Amino acid sequence: MTGVLPPDTATAPPTTRPARRRHTARWVAVTVLVVAAGLIAVLATRQPAAVSEVQSPLVGTQAPPVRGLTVDGRAFALARPPGTFVVLNFFAPWCEPCQAEGPELVHFAFEHQQAGDAKMVSVVFDDSASDARSYQATLGATWPTLADPQGTIALSYGVRAPPSTFLIAPDGRVVAYIVAPVTAADLDGLIARARATGA
Amino acid sequence: MNGTLGHTGVLLGFAAALVGIVVLLVGLVRRRPGGLRAGRFYAPLILLGGIVAVVAMQRALITHDFSLTYVADNNSRSTPLLYSITGMWSALAGSILLWGLILGIYATGMVWRFRHRADDQLVAWATLVMYVVCAFFFGLMLGPADPFTHVSSVPLDGLGPNVLLQDNPLVLFHPPMLYLGLVGFTVPFAFAVASLVTGRVDEDWQGETRRWTLFAWTFLTIGIVLGAWWSYQVLGWGGFWAWDPVENASLMPWLVGTAYLHSVMVQQRRGLLRVWNLSLVIATFSLTILGTFLTRSGVIQSVHAFSTSSIGPLLLGFFGLVLAVGVGLIAWRGDRLRSPGGIDSPMSREGAFLANNLLFVLFAFIVLLGTVFPLLYEAVNSGAQVAVGAPYFNRLIIPIGLGLLFLMAVAPALPWRKSTAEIMRGRLAVPAAIGVLVVVGCVIGGITGIEPLLAFGLGAFAAASAGRALVLSVRGAWRSARGAGASPARATLAGWRGFVGRANGGMVVHIGVVLIAVGLAAATAFGQRGTVVLAPGESGTFAGHTVEFVGTRVVRTPSHLSQQALLRVDGGAVFTPAISQFGTGTQAVGTPAIDSSVTSDVYLTINSIPAKGGPWTFGVVVQPLVMWLWVGGVLIVVGSILSAVPGRRRRPTDPVSTPVGAAAPPVAPDLDPEPEPGARTDREPVGAGEAT
Repeated sequence: MTGVLPPDTATAPPTTRPARRRHTARWVAVTVLVVAAGLIAVLATRQPAAVSEVQSPLVGTQAPPVRGLTVDGRAFALARPPGTFVVLNFFAPWCEPCQAEGPELVHFAFEHQQAGDAKMVSVVFDDSASDARSYQATLGATWPTLADPQGTIALSYGVRAPPSTFLIAPDGRVVAYIVAPVTAADLDGLIARARATGA
Repeated sequence: MNGTLGHTGVLLGFAAALVGIVVLLVGLVRRRPGGLRAGRFYAPLILLGGIVAVVAMQRALITHDFSLTYVADNNSRSTPLLYSITGMWSALAGSILLWGLILGIYATGMVWRFRHRADDQLVAWATLVMYVVCAFFFGLMLGPADPFTHVSSVPLDGLGPNVLLQDNPLVLFHPPMLYLGLVGFTVPFAFAVASLVTGRVDEDWQGETRRWTLFAWTFLTIGIVLGAWWSYQVLGWGGFWAWDPVENASLMPWLVGTAYLHSVMVQQRRGLLRVWNLSLVIATFSLTILGTFLTRSGVIQSVHAFSTSSIGPLLLGFFGLVLAVGVGLIAWRGDRLRSPGGIDSPMSREGAFLANNLLFVLFAFIVLLGTVFPLLYEAVNSGAQVAVGAPYFNRLIIPIGLGLLFLMAVAPALPWRKSTAEIMRGRLAVPAAIGVLVVVGCVIGGITGIEPLLAFGLGAFAAASAGRALVLSVRGAWRSARGAGASPARATLAGWRGFVGRANGGMVVHIGVVLIAVGLAAATAFGQRGTVVLAPGESGTFAGHTVEFVGTRVVRTPSHLSQQALLRVDGGAVFTPAISQFGTGTQAVGTPAIDSSVTSDVYLTINSIPAKGGPWTFGVVVQPLVMWLWVGGVLIVVGSILSAVPGRRRRPTDPVSTPVGAAAPPVAPDLDPEPEPGARTDREPVGAGEAT
């Protein structure tokens, strides 16, 4: 290799160029640093809350029917359109993230039971009705919980793993799909967004 | 047991990296060559730590040890061996473990390669940077991304891997390839930092950096193409690229790395663009860390982002550190290290490389902006959300892609330093004519649309230009073998040398890229998607293809239960799209079936199975030339390997096209370590011809 040069040669002014050193590299570098610092500041302050919302062909279309037997053995069918916001939550007693979001859902249901503007419906994902019944009882969940033993509701919603949560607008359209544990604040935020965009 | 072993491995890796950092720092500060030499022994220890941890994890996965949270979440008793192995990279903590292992491999490879130069300050600094990165990733596994945490009570069975990750054996290859690529950019970064710290930016080190970058880049290319192929085979929507943040995260370093692989040639040949090249190397590595942050912190919504964790702030902090060090060093040293002189004429090889660089960097910037724009928008508009979709990317990327195709056609014919219209006319007439003929042929064949026509025409132009360069270099190798007294048969054998070396391998890569560009243009512009509703025994037609519903079949394996439809396409072979249930209950996932041919693919999915009898609904996607995407990917890899093989070396006594040293300026060495046989034996005055 013939290109090995001591760095001093590199700075020696060649005859055809002005001897004055330019500071382009420095200014560009400083600009890049400033922009990157801004980007990092924005990224650092983002809440990873509403992030697990995913795109699904269902979002924006009419929600598939939700009907069947509850874990208590009663028949249940979600009205179409439901008339209020509905949070449809697919869960399983064996799923750790579901256990994490459980108290948040209870909190959400309690808040909105007072206001009457949103209600909870749960669907058991891949577990027995009896397990789910005792799980919901321990949690303090009093809303309808469908057993879905054949997984037909999960299949029609394209649910692959719990917890998965859908927000259905009063007019029956699916407005959000979240594949992660949700918090009551997340759900309130999604409802506010849906209202703002005219649901 | 597995947990303890795993923790031991992680701890070993972390401690070895820390001690290595201290030893090297002491050696560098006190200027002790002995200390610098001792510093290299910690890389194998890091690798050993990584291997121990990976063995522990694999053992836990294969033996279904559900006492580890990671195994309980990503494995089940019915998971087959293959998907137990791949379970290691199907979730966050395990993917960091794979990252750590590969980092250990690269660190060890690096100290091995430079074992005879270990007391060189530059090598010591590079090793130090490598150890810092190792310490960070092994440190993550001691904190928020610990793969070896235990569950409170051991479950009888685990959740099993995500069903989408147990449907195709490609998951065995795609993530490791991707990581071999992404992690591999750490080595060039380490050398860039070391060059800046020591002030040695000479072309010798760029040669090393280029080789490592090419290595990593090749794996990243394989990873990206496999990812697209996997997405096409598994996801059931007939697409291969969705501008998803996870995809963008691997594309951005690829783009900047590609820019570097081109512009480094300008430095090796002409001694120009030194600081620019270092900046590209630093940007490539920074973008891999940024991409890792974006996909693993949960700030961006994506279909296949990893689940949220507390790893985000740490990765972001590390990204900030990498950027501050890299860009800070450039601010501090850049202006002193700049190459004297500049590019003489835009109509020259280096001018074309510069244009190529600007387009690639712009491309990467557009992808970055599109990926983070939802976050920026949300920040500025206090919580309002916006989505950036394919239309944004397509509108901005297609013109850049066409521009790159044009450069690919013109640049190989451009001589270094400067060119004239006559030279270009002579060299480009035939390729340009081929491009025009293809466009005319397409128009006669009924193809409309300005973008696909431009893509096909420029693609043919570029492929012809690359083909011309290859033909010339093979002919040159043949002639020089004949000149050296070889028999015609031996000379023909020697002709293969016309394919190896930087420039010739690069031309093979170009042809692969053209195939991909043409495949993309055809598939996106002329793809058709729809549904056919058929009862068993019926046939229907879609987009000129006949689909006959022959019957159904149920296939049972320990891990899943599949309901298959037998579909005969165009009266030929039978294809079986399926819907499979994994695990014990409700999880169902569709598997497409693809009738692939050189002209077009017919992509079949089951959209819905009626509850009781009645017709089934099938999704059909017909896309032309999709197969060429994969062929192009293979060609790119072949070309990369060819370009890593050293080309024909010119003996100092061999004649060159112009007397050397006549008036070559001292700072722009014109002797290339890897001369391009084609260019040299080409009768046209190339490169050195205009040196004076």
